[in-house]
Amino acid sequence: MAEGTAIATPGLSSFLKSLKTTPVEPSVAYLISLLKRRQIRNSRQCAVATTALLLRVVGEFKGKDSAKLVERIRQVGRRLTSAQPREVVVGNIVRRVLGLVREVVEDHLDAETNATSDIGHNSQPHNDSLSRPTLSSTISTFSPLKHATAEPLDASTHQSETMSDSGELPKRPGLLTSHTSYVPSSSAPLVNSLFGLFSHPDTPSTSNTPTGHQSPDNKGMLTSLNLERLADFSNSKFDVKAEVMDGIRELQDELDQSDDLIAANALDHIHSNEIILTHTASTGVQKFLLTAARKRKFTVVHVETFPHDHTGTHSVLLTGKNRDHSGDSEEDSFKPLRAAGIQVVMIPDSHVFAIMSQVNKVILATHTVLANGGLVAASGARMIAAAAKAHQTPVVVVSGVYKLSPVYPFDIDELIEYGDPGSVVPYEDGGFVDLVDVENPLYDYVPADLVDLYITNLGGHAPSYLYRIVADHYRTEDINL
Amino acid sequence: MDVATPTAENPLPSFDIVSTYRRILASDPDLTMPVAAIEALVEALAHSSVSTIAETLQLLERHTNILKASTPNPISLSAGTDLFQRYMIATLNRPTSLGGSVHLGPSDDFRAIRNHLLSSGKLFVERAKASREKIASFGKHFIRDGATVLTNGGSRVVGALLRRAAESSTIRFRVIYVLSPSTSSDSREGHQTVADLRAHNVPVATIPDSAVAYSLGKVDMVIVGAEGVVENGGIISRLGTYQMGLLAKSKGKPFYVVAESHKFVRLYPLSQFDLPIDQKILDFTVSDDDKVSGEQKTSEDEGVADLNPEEARSKCSGKNVDDAVDFTPPDLISGIITESGVLTPSAVSEELIKIWF
Amino acid sequence: MSEPVVREAGHPPVTAQADTTSNPTPQPQNDAKNATSTPSKGKPKLSGVELKKLKQAEKQARRAAQKAAGEQLQGQQKTPPAKDGQKQVPKDDKSKPLPMRRRPSNPNVLVAKEPKKDTKKEPKHANLFFGHLYNQPRLHSVVGASKDVHPAVLALGLQYSSYIICGSTARMVSMLVAFKAVIEDYQTPVGTSLARHLTSHHLSPQIDYLRSCRPLSIGMGNAIRWLKDVIIKIDPSTPESEAKRELITDIDNFIRDRVIAADQLISDYAAKKIEPGDVILTYASSSIVESTLLRAHLDGISFSVIVVDSKPLFEGKRLARNLSQHGIKVRCFSYSGAAHAVKDASKVFLGAHAMMSNGRLYSRVGTASIANLANSNSIPVIVLCESVKFTERVALDSIVGNEVAPAEEILSERERQALLPLKVNGEEEAVTTTNDVWKRVEEAKNLQLQQVLYDVTPAEYINMVITEYGSLPPSSVPVVHRLSTNA
Repeated sequence: MAEGTAIATPGLSSFLKSLKTTPVEPSVAYLISLLKRRQIRNSRQCAVATTALLLRVVGEFKGKDSAKLVERIRQVGRRLTSAQPREVVVGNIVRRVLGLVREVVEDHLDAETNATSDIGHNSQPHNDSLSRPTLSSTISTFSPLKHATAEPLDASTHQSETMSDSGELPKRPGLLTSHTSYVPSSSAPLVNSLFGLFSHPDTPSTSNTPTGHQSPDNKGMLTSLNLERLADFSNSKFDVKAEVMDGIRELQDELDQSDDLIAANALDHIHSNEIILTHTASTGVQKFLLTAARKRKFTVVHVETFPHDHTGTHSVLLTGKNRDHSGDSEEDSFKPLRAAGIQVVMIPDSHVFAIMSQVNKVILATHTVLANGGLVAASGARMIAAAAKAHQTPVVVVSGVYKLSPVYPFDIDELIEYGDPGSVVPYEDGGFVDLVDVENPLYDYVPADLVDLYITNLGGHAPSYLYRIVADHYRTEDINL
Repeated sequence: MDVATPTAENPLPSFDIVSTYRRILASDPDLTMPVAAIEALVEALAHSSVSTIAETLQLLERHTNILKASTPNPISLSAGTDLFQRYMIATLNRPTSLGGSVHLGPSDDFRAIRNHLLSSGKLFVERAKASREKIASFGKHFIRDGATVLTNGGSRVVGALLRRAAESSTIRFRVIYVLSPSTSSDSREGHQTVADLRAHNVPVATIPDSAVAYSLGKVDMVIVGAEGVVENGGIISRLGTYQMGLLAKSKGKPFYVVAESHKFVRLYPLSQFDLPIDQKILDFTVSDDDKVSGEQKTSEDEGVADLNPEEARSKCSGKNVDDAVDFTPPDLISGIITESGVLTPSAVSEELIKIWF
Repeated sequence: MSEPVVREAGHPPVTAQADTTSNPTPQPQNDAKNATSTPSKGKPKLSGVELKKLKQAEKQARRAAQKAAGEQLQGQQKTPPAKDGQKQVPKDDKSKPLPMRRRPSNPNVLVAKEPKKDTKKEPKHANLFFGHLYNQPRLHSVVGASKDVHPAVLALGLQYSSYIICGSTARMVSMLVAFKAVIEDYQTPVGTSLARHLTSHHLSPQIDYLRSCRPLSIGMGNAIRWLKDVIIKIDPSTPESEAKRELITDIDNFIRDRVIAADQLISDYAAKKIEPGDVILTYASSSIVESTLLRAHLDGISFSVIVVDSKPLFEGKRLARNLSQHGIKVRCFSYSGAAHAVKDASKVFLGAHAMMSNGRLYSRVGTASIANLANSNSIPVIVLCESVKFTERVALDSIVGNEVAPAEEILSERERQALLPLKVNGEEEAVTTTNDVWKRVEEAKNLQLQQVLYDVTPAEYINMVITEYGSLPPSSVPVVHRLSTNA
């Protein structure tokens, strides 16, 4: 929902402020407590806080052992995610930072091995860095010795869609082979996981390694060797830390620009005189609509989203600012749609079906997007999407890539958060709450088949293509934190 | 995948690919057709004395065609042969590209591959089996506590998955098992699975095909196996799967397919009647003398019919629908559970595109 | 201002008043509690409490009429404080155009032309979707009512416009009861006959007045049509007193047969559809659903209920409270949680404002989405509706025919309070009163709040309609309608 930063104390801004002065450990503890008490909530805020914290964690990290750095990030990540498992974004950011570290390490490793190991590739453990990823595919996990062969990223990425829960994932696939997927030079005509069945057990490459040359026992060593090499970097000169921190800063930029990049697509999707239906006080959606409003005149039907976000909705409609996060955060203030000359009609949630026959497009904000193309969004989204489906109205979901989670929704209910029943029925209404079980789910799960299009900062995607975007952003080995 | 007739005569008198294939298939009840086919081709390679790339490929092609011609339903088998062929082409044509850093001549390379293949035939089998276990081990996460699962018989992967779920004591679930009344291997496999599940205290209801729609109201998810996963992400599976998919879709129940990725096959059927096999399920007739086929099938595999081609052929042309397959289009499928994760049907496409284009 | 309308009155004069913080007059709430705490059964008569209330209202109405006559020139918004049913619009002084309602069932009928003082200002912009429905302001006082209007009807009209009597069946029954009083007090002028004069000259002003208070419900329309039919068939030679007696008996019979007996039959049928372990989902509040659930509960069936509620009316809250007080396990969801609620349900029971001849259900706005969700989850949707609410009209969408509700109801007092600190662009000062909040929202350029009362549920989402004739598919609604009107 990207509702921007909360300034209410304590919240994101107080956290960011304290981060400058507080040492890492107390900061981690502080963020955990903020997450637990829901003083930082919503995808965007969690993402910003997590990124800032990880930047600090990496910055304070002593030593040059990148394996230890990975372990350190992982450990912080685990604590954060267990503090608030439903803020999936926290885990997303941690995984992306982990991926960053690996990428940085591999890039250097690659350069190094290329420079040094032209010869003796058979005996050198890192010969597999030269091997083509083609063959050392996912199915390597096939092999009698589990986790033996390394998994190149592109072959195994779809695991990320799914296997977050499965303990059977190779815990630590070798890094060395994975890097090849990033190196186009080794791109063989066929890069394929389906060939996994044939991959040689000893080395991922069947092409350049004489058969039977190495005993299968070597396989078990591969992983450890890779780890060793990760650790080896403590000896080398290059500064993992600096590069990772640069990467994290890039990630921060991505978070900052996400909404604007998404909004840049707006004119491709909204034409004149359309009637657009949306809900919640999402800044992302508002910016999207505002961008379109610069060039086109259309009408917005805004669903109130009672009882969680109605106040925010009214605020956004009136002032362009989400009251919940008023204050000094400039980021969130923009002029309201109505000031841009856009006719806005606000309706209560119950009117969605009645109005839907008039609506040309539904634009939804989201909390988390899942790899199967479904999403978790503010409650009411399911009902809106279902009504749109019934009227053949296209549903467009606007989301930053950072909300895209590799977690496969085995059990949707685990992702749904329940809010204060008092906002459904005021507590003053004595007795009622005692008699009646009042429930207030904050989120809805919207299955992929109700969504027609996703618009992210990378552009527009069909729900069926999300698996690929997930694969591009997360490393298989990081899915289990 | 039509049979190329010119090579119909045995290319190497000393080696009979079809019987080898059958022997391999019969030797291990856990073996799937694609893997058996690959094994057979490897053996064929071993018996041959080819020394060039072109010769090898030619040999493989010939054997593949013979093999395909020998079975009435070569879809599953061709997943294996095609994959193998494609793999050979990919590896054999590539060496020069690595020449810079790898000091192996093309011939060395060729020998290396050959040696690798010959020496690791058994490994393929092990991997194929391991993949089933792997699917089972994380596929079980799909079965949530308190869920009711509808499945149809005959798939060993599904059986493995359910067994694995049953073994984990944390999940309580119920199974509705579609069992055909026949005594085919499919249903024997099914009975075995049902017995195993019940032994693990999993309540199982067995229903005939006709009760699928009736039962669907109580079902939380559908899990089926597949004989082949085709290019658009659809599946070829036991007759009756398509209707389960349609029904599940109409009732909004998730429909998962469990298949090892070596079952991905390069095939793009447009409809039920666009399959490269000859099924005479629809037999319009005006005479009412019902020619009952009393034959009982004894083969071990799910696709099966190829153990005894003559018999199977006659069955397929008759009214016996035990071995028949249908095509379930991708829009009915929620996800395909493979050993490398859960793929959306569109991801299957990508996998196949990657080797064939 | 936020009252249930889906009160499909099992008990004739059910008046319902949701307790919302938005309601400025506390009194109606009390009334509502009185009314709802007396489930009158069996007799087609108003319960004691309600009778008293009605009488009281009558008296007040009469008083109000006199008073109003005197101060007609002043802003009529100075409504007599004691007026029971009077809705006190919170922002009178702003001379805001009152949102108007128009009869959905009969768009061509002209609304009585009452001079409405405070409609100087046109709505600030055309209502995007329901502009065609804005027509005449709803009458909130007896000022300007035709002198022919009977005091009982005057009182009733105010109760309509303020939702004290609400729900199409309740409205229909209370109208018939008031008409009984009208008929009792009626005297045929010399030179004409009752059959000819009563309808056109005496009943029509009453109906027009009621319509100007709130558009007639479809059930009311049906009842009026029936009544006119009965009157026209009276033999002119019948002595007046006898004719009047006959008419009154007819009305009583009508209420007994078409409403009370029907309701009992329906709840009998419907309660049988509830099985042990069922989770019954219902939306908003329908009296017939309520009595069905209570019936099933009394029959010893163990089931639980999920009530989905929606703002601004919060009708479901009242239903949830009633049910839980009877010991039924009730869960309550706000409307946005509907998807979760439907997921947990095993059957959906809905009340109706009317059943259209094309099988569609015309009911409280929000019903359609619930039915849609239920349908996509393969949960049976059952509509409970007396055949008297069937209509020969058809509807495709919820836009063409509907009843617009005042937009200010959307923002409750509580919500306005939450918006107090808001700084609208330019203004540095935050407003201080909740009225100002509304004013601001209302005056905001390019922003409008819209609200209607009903929506149309497609027939394919409805598995079963239970009427007093039994259960039928929605496609058979016209058949039963013909049957019941010809019988």
